[in-house]
Amino acid sequence: MSVELKLSRSNRIYRPSEALEGKIVFKTQSSIYHYGIRLTVKGSVNLQVRGGSAGVVESFYGVIKPIPIVNRITEIKSSGKIGLGTSEIPFSLKLRQQDENLERFYETFHGANISIQYLVTVDIPRGYLHKSLSATTEFIVESDKADLPQRPLSPEMVIFYITQDTQRHSLLHELKSGGFRVTGKISTQCSLSGTISGELTVEASAVPIQAIDIQLFRVESILLGEKIVTETSLIQTTQIADGDVCRGLTLPIYVILPRLLTCPTTLAGPFSIEFKVAIVISFQAELSKLHKKSDPKTPRLGMAMETLPLELVRAK
Amino acid sequence: MEFRPRNYSAELESHALPRVTAAAHPLSASPPSPPLAQVDVVDRGNSDFFDPLRGTDNDANAAAPDHDNLNESSDLQPTKEWTSFRRLLMQRFPVSKMVSVSSMPDVLMRSGKLHEKSSTAMHLEELDDPQKFADEGVKTITWQEYVSRLHELKDEITRSWQAEDRVTSLKLSIKVAKLLMDTSVLEFYPTLFVLVTDTMDMLGNLVWQRIKRKAEFSEDGTLRCSLAENFQARDICADAKETCYNWFSKIGAVQELLPRIYLELAILPCWCFLLDQPLDSLRRLVMMTRGLGDPVASAYCRLYMAHCAQKLPSHDIGYLITCMNDIRVILMQILSANERSHKNVEVNKKLQVSLMEPTIEYIMKCVFNGLTQRQANEVLSELGLMKNQQDLGSVSCVSIILHHLLKELPIEVVSTNVVQILHLIEFSKDNSFGQHLNYRLLGFRLYERKSPVHIVNTVLDKVIQVIGLYDSLDEYLKVVDAYTDLILQNRMNNHLNAILEGISNRALNKRVTEDEILSLQSLILKLLSHFKHLEDVFSLVQFPEILDVMYGKSQDVVFLHILNMVTRNDHISDPTSIQLLFEIAQTLHDNIEFMNVKDDDGQMARSISRFVLMVDYGAEMEQHLAFLVNCRGAFGRFNELKETLVHSGNSLAIQALKCAKKHLSFFKACVTFSEVTIPSVSAHRQFDLFLETAEVAFLGGLVSHSDGLIDSAITCLHTLDIIDGFRTPTDVEGLVSSIRKLCGFLIMVPGTLSLPVTYFPNNLFTLISSRSWFEPKMRTQIFSAIILLLTTQSQKRLPYHANTQTPGNDMLYYGDSSYNQELVSLSKLVLENLLSAVQQEPSQAARGIMALEACNCIASSFMLNSELSPVCLTLIETAKSCLSAQDKYLQSTIQLLNKQCPTL
Repeated sequence: MSVELKLSRSNRIYRPSEALEGKIVFKTQSSIYHYGIRLTVKGSVNLQVRGGSAGVVESFYGVIKPIPIVNRITEIKSSGKIGLGTSEIPFSLKLRQQDENLERFYETFHGANISIQYLVTVDIPRGYLHKSLSATTEFIVESDKADLPQRPLSPEMVIFYITQDTQRHSLLHELKSGGFRVTGKISTQCSLSGTISGELTVEASAVPIQAIDIQLFRVESILLGEKIVTETSLIQTTQIADGDVCRGLTLPIYVILPRLLTCPTTLAGPFSIEFKVAIVISFQAELSKLHKKSDPKTPRLGMAMETLPLELVRAK
Repeated sequence: MEFRPRNYSAELESHALPRVTAAAHPLSASPPSPPLAQVDVVDRGNSDFFDPLRGTDNDANAAAPDHDNLNESSDLQPTKEWTSFRRLLMQRFPVSKMVSVSSMPDVLMRSGKLHEKSSTAMHLEELDDPQKFADEGVKTITWQEYVSRLHELKDEITRSWQAEDRVTSLKLSIKVAKLLMDTSVLEFYPTLFVLVTDTMDMLGNLVWQRIKRKAEFSEDGTLRCSLAENFQARDICADAKETCYNWFSKIGAVQELLPRIYLELAILPCWCFLLDQPLDSLRRLVMMTRGLGDPVASAYCRLYMAHCAQKLPSHDIGYLITCMNDIRVILMQILSANERSHKNVEVNKKLQVSLMEPTIEYIMKCVFNGLTQRQANEVLSELGLMKNQQDLGSVSCVSIILHHLLKELPIEVVSTNVVQILHLIEFSKDNSFGQHLNYRLLGFRLYERKSPVHIVNTVLDKVIQVIGLYDSLDEYLKVVDAYTDLILQNRMNNHLNAILEGISNRALNKRVTEDEILSLQSLILKLLSHFKHLEDVFSLVQFPEILDVMYGKSQDVVFLHILNMVTRNDHISDPTSIQLLFEIAQTLHDNIEFMNVKDDDGQMARSISRFVLMVDYGAEMEQHLAFLVNCRGAFGRFNELKETLVHSGNSLAIQALKCAKKHLSFFKACVTFSEVTIPSVSAHRQFDLFLETAEVAFLGGLVSHSDGLIDSAITCLHTLDIIDGFRTPTDVEGLVSSIRKLCGFLIMVPGTLSLPVTYFPNNLFTLISSRSWFEPKMRTQIFSAIILLLTTQSQKRLPYHANTQTPGNDMLYYGDSSYNQELVSLSKLVLENLLSAVQQEPSQAARGIMALEACNCIASSFMLNSELSPVCLTLIETAKSCLSAQDKYLQSTIQLLNKQCPTL
């Protein structure tokens, strides 16, 4: 005896103006009686505070009350019987009701402190004697095309220079004295379906290079009383150079944005989600080997980096 | 019993076939067809040749498994070139048994939970506790273990794929691809590359098939559409596109650069599901590869790229040119880097370059595959090698890249750009590849097709000037060898002299090494093949000196070539040539003694025999004989040669006989030379030689000499049965025919008073009867021959005579009845034996033929009286019982009998 929710789209992506379609699949050995089949669509922004710039007291509270986006229960079928074997009940639910435009349908996002999630649940109560059946599945919400910003994506790129003098943290002596110069450009406004692109050239470096990575960070901020708690965490590291690459050869920067872990840059009242991209150069210095497991956000002596804000948008 | 009288001339006339005049000689050749255009296959440097038999035991383990039934679909199969390239790659860098891996990749650790193991494997694992491995800094793993673990991984990937657990498949594939990040054991890298890319290709295939299926079939299995060979991205349904995009996203999320590139390359063809122009991705991947800092790893990554790009429906070669340019930049950096830290950096550099060479070779091949001349020119300028004519000095290339470029360039492009190429070679001088080898390659390339003289001149002027500065004989020879054909073809004698002088200057006062000898051998053989006459070669001033430098096996090859060349057509009469060749032959002979090589003996003996035969002193016959005597002393090793000496001695004797001036004593000397030489020849050849010499002696009127030789011939048959290996049918037939020939010869030999008239036939008969190994068939043939001989001797007039000086028996014994009596009595004896021999034959068919032979012999030898007629009838009966009635031989024999004796 099992129940399963199958959505019409294999990628489970739906837009708020669209209908969530799918079917409820029952598999049972004997026919069952039920008191109605109900579908619940629930979307919410879940916030929690831990670490980051939050104080001890705030982290003690932990989870903050989630912000609801949608919560609707629909009865698909009134009480009745489900025959034995496999049976399917199709459904179609409008996500956004005409009259109900209270909340914005934020795009799905799974972050460290903020998570925006949409779930659809089927419940089949069967009276007191029997355990009720239920199944839940997540679906992904992407913004409606109509709601997207009209301005086109700026194709401009930010030009960056990374040298021993641009670093705000202390460097190894040999790096400081030998010097290095890495230049390039990178897009700071990206479409979520596209890539972070750009290019990079190691023009000079006296110390051999160990690796160059592109790190993608999320910056989650939550309004907590009077304070804004912000936390920056690493989403993904993409190596673009492995070893001491040739000087003067241009390397491409090409990072596919991971789904679910990214969403359009969002600045809502109670919370905001922003992104940053960092170009991190590690040098083959003795010290860098010792601190391999340390926090990626704190720069090390044998490393140079450049961090740039990154605006993610849902493009048409 | 009575001999049948014969009239030979009348019989000849009645049996002769009518003669008709022929318009043309039946063997004369039809007008010669124009000679076929010579196709010159040039050995383009030996370095890239790999003997397939030289493979190590290792590749048995590592052979690409073709039992993989998942690869059924033909659309993404690796090309034949790729398969063979991979095999050669592994053979070129064989792996030693142990591979020490600095940090054991987790993926190679047997986790045990992923697959069941045989009990032996379990046992092994207990023996070497993995925990113990982890504690040590350097782990050692046997090569077989490494490979078998990789194969297991590949199987695991397939298994989890089939179990719909594609995430595990991907995860494992990423782990496998990560193995290529480790270049710590450089020698192992090519093999690792082959093994890993094999897995990558398999994964690529699986993904391709999955997405294709999604595009063609809907979820419930009904056919949506059938994709054409060259489908477009818009033909693909959203669902399939989504899956495809997902794969690229998943792979894009791999943190490390190298596995990310390899995996994207593996599924590169899948871009076709998403885009109509997947080439942009390829160009990006080329650029991404620049991020690989390790030169070897990046070169192999480009190699895999060249392989994967061929699976795309269309691709230009621009990306390959970028690859090649990048490799050039990397190589330049490696080569220019000063020794920073270690002493063995230089060694390591060499190894790195040699590991990168196959990748350069393959990519170059891909670049020039099927290119037109114009396109090839464009490629040259794309590679930055053809700027403008004025600015040549600044253009240079890495010599190893230049080498493979030069190898692949269409020959027309080589000819038209030869000046630039010369410049390139001149200015591309680095440690990656010997500059002289590029000069050498240019020589071979130019000889591939007939190049205009002015081009050849330009090149040679330059090359001769350059190599003039070389100190090393080896390098000098390597270059010169490649240009020899060109020099000879264009008859540039000044250059020829120059290079020969160059060689002799460099070879002087120094021990020439094996490598040098081989180049020298090749060069000398080219010279020898070019010149028709030995005199022409030796007239080259430095040639004898250079020849003196040769030693060992190469010397043999060259000397043998000289011998064969000289003896091919003409007789050799020049005494200096003879002396030279004699010395050459003697060296060859002595080297054999030294080396004791059995295989080449035959070839050498034949060549020297041929030389001895071709020597001709003309009128100076004494000298010729002396030469033969010298040869006998010098070449004692060759049996075959002694035979030749006997033939030469005999033919010299005949020549002397023809020459009126010669004294009989010289003739005698020749015959004696032959006579004393024969006993040292192996026994089964002696009979023929004795017989031949006897004939010669007889012709010269030395009758008693001849008698002695015949005696020796018959005596030597005594020793024959001792020798084994003389029982092949051809040998036996040869012997029988020689004995029959002796019988024919004996007709002419006159009897002497001291011996009975039937002395020789009788001896022969007694010998044959007493030797049990003469089979019935041989006996029948020999006895028939003896009977025919006796019959002929009984005639009043013999069918032939030697000459007028030596009278035949028909004159000596004319009308002598005792002579006839003797012949008859021996005939009777032989006949009895002949009849019994026929009956002894075990094989029925053979017996029938033998009976007919005997019957024919009797019928043509004797008058068929009451005594012999029944004998003949019995033989016919025997034949009838053995053969079919339709047998032609049987019928003609019966006819003959009827004719000879109508009463029968």
